[in-house]
Amino acid sequence: MSKEKKMYEKVCEYLGCDLDAEPCKELQEHLHKCPQCEVYIDEIKNTVKLYQKADECEETPDSVSKKLFATLNLDNPKQD
Amino acid sequence: MMENEEKIVEKAQEGDKDALARLVNEYHDRIYHLGLSMLKQEQDAEDMLQETFLTLVEKVHQFKGNSSIYTWLYRIATNIALKKLKSKPRKYPHIPIDEPDFKKIHEKETKEEMEFDFEKVNNYKFRKTLNEVLDELPPKYKTVFILRDLHNLSTRETAKILNLTESNTKVRLFRARNYLKEKLEDLKTEELMV
Ligand SMILES: [Zn+2]
Repeated sequence: MSKEKKMYEKVCEYLGCDLDAEPCKELQEHLHKCPQCEVYIDEIKNTVKLYQKADECEETPDSVSKKLFATLNLDNPKQD
Repeated sequence: MMENEEKIVEKAQEGDKDALARLVNEYHDRIYHLGLSMLKQEQDAEDMLQETFLTLVEKVHQFKGNSSIYTWLYRIATNIALKKLKSKPRKYPHIPIDEPDFKKIHEKETKEEMEFDFEKVNNYKFRKTLNEVLDELPPKYKTVFILRDLHNLSTRETAKILNLTESNTKVRLFRARNYLKEKLEDLKTEELMV
């Protein structure tokens, strides 16, 4: 396997895992000398963060919760 | 996870209505969110929510306790959502497997890093756009992204819920993240981003 192909696999592997984990040593070394990969990884991280922040803004409307408890024929503990 | 969750689940399995209500109260928010991001339409999300918890009430006695109750719920909910998506077939973009072109990344002059304005998520229209981009992803990629990145489930939990191997889960997550990044880059040129 060429060196480049190997590094490619490391980047992909890293980007399929937890993004706040430290990259492996080899990848870290590569990132130090390769701004392109560094930028690329950063952009992916920020994309994920943007989606996470957007998701936090969505609230479940009260009417949805109410209807759910009514359908299930259960008392909503929040309303006691 | 709730305090004393095992006890609460046990009680729910014995038909205790208060225990059931506590489980519903604890998890319905997350499941509704899951529905919204999977199905986009509020009505569909609400239907999925109801179906999921009706299944909980009906089948909680079958829950064996070898996973946590919330992964069990996620599994039910995800299956319902995927079924709904299947019932409305549409064309999805092709997700290339050898993307990103690594050579291309390296050939590029150091390009300027994309700028992100996280404040923009407060804008409803912007969130809608994000959701539309997410919705372009074929379900098998979208689901992994939602479970892993929006619901913070682990690779292992996600793999279990979707009956995938962990390495398959990682590959799908990577492709989903990459697709979304590229799409946001396109949006940026349309000045939807900063
Ligand atoms: Zn590189």
